[in-house]
Amino acid sequence: MSKAFKAFAITLALLALVVAPACHKQQPIKVAPSADTGPVVPPIPPTVTTATAQTVTTEPDFVSPKTETVSTDTLPNDIEELNRVAQARGYVQDAFFEYNESTLTADAQSALTSSATWLKKNGQYNLLIEGHCDERGTEQYNLALGDRRANQAKEYLVTLGIDSGRIRTVSYGEERPFDPGHTEAAWAKNRRDHLVLVGK
Amino acid sequence: MKRTTTLLLSLFLSSAALPLAAQTQITTTITPDKALQVARIAVPRPDTTLPLETINTPFFAPLTRDLAYSGVFAIAPIPPNIPPGADLAKAANAQFVLALKIDKQGEEFTVEARLLDSTGATQSGKRYRGSSGALSRIAHTIANDLVRTVNGKPGIFLSRIGFASNRTGHFEIWLMDWDGANQRQITRHNALSILPSWSADGERMVYTLFPTGGTSDMYIINRRDGGRVRVRTGLGLNTSATFSPISNDIAFVGSVAGNPDIYVIKDDGTNLRRLTSDSSIESTPEWSPNGQQISFTSGRSGSPQIYTMDADGANVQRISFEGEWNDDATWSPDGSQLAYTSRIDGRFQIRVADLVTHQSRILAGEGSNEQPTWSPDGKWIAFQSNRSGRWQIYRMRVDTGSDLLQLTFEGENKDPDWSKKETANGQ
Repeated sequence: MSKAFKAFAITLALLALVVAPACHKQQPIKVAPSADTGPVVPPIPPTVTTATAQTVTTEPDFVSPKTETVSTDTLPNDIEELNRVAQARGYVQDAFFEYNESTLTADAQSALTSSATWLKKNGQYNLLIEGHCDERGTEQYNLALGDRRANQAKEYLVTLGIDSGRIRTVSYGEERPFDPGHTEAAWAKNRRDHLVLVGK
Repeated sequence: MKRTTTLLLSLFLSSAALPLAAQTQITTTITPDKALQVARIAVPRPDTTLPLETINTPFFAPLTRDLAYSGVFAIAPIPPNIPPGADLAKAANAQFVLALKIDKQGEEFTVEARLLDSTGATQSGKRYRGSSGALSRIAHTIANDLVRTVNGKPGIFLSRIGFASNRTGHFEIWLMDWDGANQRQITRHNALSILPSWSADGERMVYTLFPTGGTSDMYIINRRDGGRVRVRTGLGLNTSATFSPISNDIAFVGSVAGNPDIYVIKDDGTNLRRLTSDSSIESTPEWSPNGQQISFTSGRSGSPQIYTMDADGANVQRISFEGEWNDDATWSPDGSQLAYTSRIDGRFQIRVADLVTHQSRILAGEGSNEQPTWSPDGKWIAFQSNRSGRWQIYRMRVDTGSDLLQLTFEGENKDPDWSKKETANGQ
């Protein structure tokens, strides 16, 4: 007996162990011809249809040879640096939300009011508002919730006099948490509108 | 009265050396009424001159695994050195014997599979041809054919699961076989790509892409050439897109000015229709299998709950009332049940609700368990769980929650969507 076949036989024996005890001592399965309680086996012509062999091939499977990059805007580095500075100095300030809420709190309104003041003076930049959620909800509903949060801020900025054409929104739901932790403190940081300055 | 047998899958697949088998505990539960429908089958060593090592991993392991999980067959232990026939059936106390013959000419394998009954008479037989790369597909095809022979319905062994994985560093769309084998990346956007959903014919998937630049867009990828097409809706969000089972319509969540609603659009980007107009958040549409209804999630009651409506938006009915967060509803293939994600004691669990009796039950597990998706035969649910500390995709039986198997291990993996067709080989 070859080594391979031994392994093979062991495989089968062990496999059988999984299933056999489960069936063993159950009501015995009777087999045709006296198959009153046996499994239902539809009648099949007792011929071997070896003449019609089915060809099974490997087919192209979603795989494109090309690497496709989808990119609309490539922001220069100085914009990224500007965003760091603008956040650090409070030129633009993120707005935070209560759990499963998209209503702007007093603090959120205050943050957006400060941001609007700076944006009015710096008309050379547009704004992207990213809506984010904490991980406690579900992915799909949170994407919708993040959209609502982002648009609440946009609407508020427009009432403060920012041209709506300068503001875009996107929801990342719970996809991109600022704090990866699983505490209330982390969740509170992750329920936010993140304000990002973009070039015109 | 239940009988449960447990052992490590890694034991019986040791010679197959499949990575997915590592330390996965399998529980097989067969109740007496089900045992009546399970036929014992003996599967002796294939008749071949080829080295067994070249056959085992790509062919024999997936074949025997499919049969063991089929719910139709139970693998009978076989005594050595008895050729396939009545004697083997008797010695193994088996109702069926699977006689396999494998030849290789050039680069092409030919597999002959004959199903013998306990008298040794051939019940069915067929030949399969393919390259070495097609051997696992041949194995799954044979298993499907055997199940169809005995059960009247094909198996699900050629069905596949689309999902999102970040194992390359960020989430892209991936694909795997029903048993977790052959995991492969199918999008290369180098940007967040999530929530894949199969077309009814298994030829396309629709998903959401977040390209750099602060938008989220709907994309369709084709199986034949991997080509990707953006569906321009003119709306925001474009999430949770899902193909109609009966037409070229796609239901999705679109947003205008921060009001997410359920919309339908043709796959060519025309004929946009708005199905919900509530001021609350609506999300997560899913078609009923006959295409006549759409389930969705709405916050209109004050918390996310499951609703159904007709495919034109009429006749809205609330389905879930329990708890304060329900989402991810998905229909059983026969349309009689909805599985969804339901928060219980601060964690999410999979709940299965009967649409006729309005009774529901929970398939509880460790951690949070979300985004259920049904196998085409309605016997299994794949879902994502963070029980290991990271999101991974698992599979379990719908009726008992048993036979749990972890399907993914690398990186984080989520958003499973099981193909709707019973097979994916044009059958």
